[in-house]
Amino acid sequence: MTAIAIATFDSEGAWLRARTRAIAAGHRIVGEWLPYASKAIGPGEGRGGILSWVLAGGAIGGFGLFALECWTAVVDYPFDSGGRALLSWPAFIPAPVEFAALTAGVGGIIAMFVQARLTRLSDSVFDWDEVVEGSRSSFVLALGCTVGDDANAAVALLADAGAARSRVIGL
Amino acid sequence: MSGAQMMHARAAPQRWVLPSVTSLEHVTEAVAAPMMDRPAGLRYWIAFAAMAAVTLAGALGIAFSLAYGPGLWGNNSAVVWGFPIANYVWWIGIGNAGTLISSLLLLTRQKWRASINRAAEAMTLFAVSMAGIFPILHLGRQVYFYWLFPYPQTMGVWPQWRSALVWDFWSILSYLLFSILFFYVGLIPDLAALRDRPGKLGWRRFYGVLAMGWQGTPRQWRAQSRLHTIMAVIAVPLVCSVHSIVGLDFAASLMPGWTESIFPPYFVVGAFFSGFAVVVLIVLVVRWSMSLEGLIVPAHFDVMAKVILASAIVMGASYGAEWFSAWWGGDPSDIRLVCYEFTGDYWWLYLLMLAMNVLAPQLFWIPKLRTNVRALVGVSVGVLVGMWLERILIILNTLSTGYEPSFWRTYAPTIVDFIILAGTLAAFVLLFLILARLIPVVSMYEVRDLVAEEGQQ
Repeated sequence: MTAIAIATFDSEGAWLRARTRAIAAGHRIVGEWLPYASKAIGPGEGRGGILSWVLAGGAIGGFGLFALECWTAVVDYPFDSGGRALLSWPAFIPAPVEFAALTAGVGGIIAMFVQARLTRLSDSVFDWDEVVEGSRSSFVLALGCTVGDDANAAVALLADAGAARSRVIGL
Repeated sequence: MSGAQMMHARAAPQRWVLPSVTSLEHVTEAVAAPMMDRPAGLRYWIAFAAMAAVTLAGALGIAFSLAYGPGLWGNNSAVVWGFPIANYVWWIGIGNAGTLISSLLLLTRQKWRASINRAAEAMTLFAVSMAGIFPILHLGRQVYFYWLFPYPQTMGVWPQWRSALVWDFWSILSYLLFSILFFYVGLIPDLAALRDRPGKLGWRRFYGVLAMGWQGTPRQWRAQSRLHTIMAVIAVPLVCSVHSIVGLDFAASLMPGWTESIFPPYFVVGAFFSGFAVVVLIVLVVRWSMSLEGLIVPAHFDVMAKVILASAIVMGASYGAEWFSAWWGGDPSDIRLVCYEFTGDYWWLYLLMLAMNVLAPQLFWIPKLRTNVRALVGVSVGVLVGMWLERILIILNTLSTGYEPSFWRTYAPTIVDFIILAGTLAAFVLLFLILARLIPVVSMYEVRDLVAEEGQQ
């Protein structure tokens, strides 16, 4: 029967220590929850994902509005404004630049939600007190194990690494 | 809280939280408890009622203006831009500063931003909202303001894309929405902390929905940090372009004193200057009202005062450049305008503006005054008054004495002008009072990071 050994740590150092030891001891990390963006978490995979969405969003918004300006001013509503050129492209630049920034931000938000797997308002981990504590003040580490000696060893390792609290959750 | 007390509590220069703040839980509670656990208190409700009353008066001023037209204002046949445009430029300047401060400090890795960035970003949202009222009000036919937006209408017409008014519409709209997104991205982890904090179920559900299921896993932190940084990179040029466009509203014309290429950067610096003055005032109030002496230390005010001082010097140089270019260029209209600034109808306002914007901040050369509450409040309020005078005088000096002497007119504001301005000021404070009871005005997760980092030193 599988289980999870879960522990909370009061400091980033203790959490990192426990993490290192757990990996060295062959335990599988099944979950981590942090109260701030620790520099120890590293860049991770899919680094360029958000940037690509930002660039795509900006390009769509900026070029889209510029194209709309050109089409409306030259083709659909060719209004002579004091003899100025219909395709007054320099004067058409400010609005698309501003709008591109907005759509880039929207693209980035969508990418972040996808990457961070947000909008999951209900999740079984919210039933664990440790995870709830994690968003406020604690570092939380969860190790996969089997009920019995393996679970006891995992809890002992976590406690030895400086866990403030640890326990086994049966699955 | 006296200046002496603040000095007494001063932390070592490299620390941005007091050593007494040691645990991460302490940070969460220090910020969340005054907001969620303690009742608002009598002083809060008095301030709320007063601001609501003035906001209502301002709303009535706007309603009368909509009903009876711009004839209720001081604008005349020569000074066609009066309070509304000055208020717009002033508010948008303050609004620009919040995101600029937050994003610039994020990109330059200034640790002290952790305690002030949330207030600065909130300031942006409210100030830009106030700014957005005035161009619409100034349209004259306000009910048709939506014509600025491109949509396929039955008459087959489209917006005039060459118009600075259309540029303003897109810049304000884009900037406001972008700032809301930037604010929200930085807020998500704190909303999750409020969701997970013991409290009333209704409020926890409210924060839970806004937190979107945030758990604080490494994957989520990576995505959030990355997007926050990317948005900061976008925000800096965006802010500069928004206020440059406001500067171009003037510089793209042919009026004396306005056709200057210095206007866009000059406006951006002015925005930064007035925005920092507002941030100082807001942070002082937040620190005092929420007892956050441990998280907002005198060193924060010291560094903000230095920024105000540096900005004041740049502002002084900008004024000097304006006078010099008029003299060096030799254009009679420009020379006359500079003479009029010092000797004309508004000379005393001009001198007051110079005193507030250039001279008063020089007090911050004295280190003691950079952490003295009275000096900070006095200079910050002075800067705000000075910057508003600058905005109105840009309009009044030029439009009162254009190229045609037979068309020279002096401007006198009306009570409606003042009521509308006061209404927006009160609405800004009112929105902040509401916000302070709804979301953490100090970024908890960033301060936790700071506390952990300083604890290791």
